[in-house]
Amino acid sequence: MTNFWIGIIFLTISIVVYAITKKIYRKYPNPFTLPIFLTSGILIIGLGVSDISYQSYMLGGQWIDLFLGPIVVALALPLYRQLDLIKKYAQTIFIGIFAGSIIGIITGIIGAKILGFEDWIIQSVAAKSVTTPVALSITDTAGGNLSFAAVFVMIAGISGAMFGPLILRLLRIKHPVSRGLGIGTASHAIGTSKALELGDLDGAVSALSMTISAVVVSFLVPLFLSLL
Amino acid sequence: MKYLKIILQISLLFLFYYIGEAIQSAFSLFIPGSIIGMLLFFTLLSGRLIKVEWIADGIDLLMRDMPIFFVPVTVGVVQYLDFFYGKGSLLIPLVMLSTFLIIGISGFVTSLLLKKEVDIHD
Repeated sequence: MTNFWIGIIFLTISIVVYAITKKIYRKYPNPFTLPIFLTSGILIIGLGVSDISYQSYMLGGQWIDLFLGPIVVALALPLYRQLDLIKKYAQTIFIGIFAGSIIGIITGIIGAKILGFEDWIIQSVAAKSVTTPVALSITDTAGGNLSFAAVFVMIAGISGAMFGPLILRLLRIKHPVSRGLGIGTASHAIGTSKALELGDLDGAVSALSMTISAVVVSFLVPLFLSLL
Repeated sequence: MKYLKIILQISLLFLFYYIGEAIQSAFSLFIPGSIIGMLLFFTLLSGRLIKVEWIADGIDLLMRDMPIFFVPVTVGVVQYLDFFYGKGSLLIPLVMLSTFLIIGISGFVTSLLLKKEVDIHD
């Protein structure tokens, strides 16, 4: 069988598994039924059990990867649509996002350094707070490992969605703008779907915080990594 | 016709991405080319040089199923599972702790600023 057809098969499998997990998520919405989590998990187990190499899988996966850069460009549209909300809280939003982004990068880099991890792992963990396509672009430019970065982004998303509302309650943070900003800056799209459950304004602020923080972090990560 | 339109709209994203990459490598910038492309696209949208209705359908279609595009990269972790059973597992609580700190601190800073804003208006 030629590489082309092997690629088609893996491409089809990926899309079908994703479509199924999307149905599951719709029926049982939960951080652990997220399509990205379930689909990746199923495919990882599938490759492990069948002893198929990741390189073979990527004969199909590489076509999907082509979209990673253009999707970052696409984020300009939701950002543009939220321009009114951004203008309304401009100063507050930018300071809040900046504070959170810096804390996230510093604790990630210093924490990994203290635990004794090598540079390429530190480079992969630095951008974990932002939405996956941007985190991958940042990590790629920084010299880290993309798969690691994707996993760290997922952990940041799922843990923030699970515990974010509790943390905010404990700190008595009640304003929808503060809640949405905290969750969106830390946990990107996965957090945003949780923020939407708290309220419409929470969700909207979370969505714009995730995009603005992505831009902020893409400027800050190279700066902080150069200090290593 | 509808499909052609969507293909053209998505092609435009590729175009901005390649322009961003070209700018990044031409000036050896440290910011990813994709972000440069996005900022450029955002600027043109804000300046109404590109109208939302020209591009919205294709982008919304792409964004609705965004997670599918992260699947192959994430599956790549299959090559490093041993690492995560061992020392790498320490990175999981680290990422969680860092995430909680972001939520707490940015949420807290924002509430302080919002309170201050209210005080000024009073």
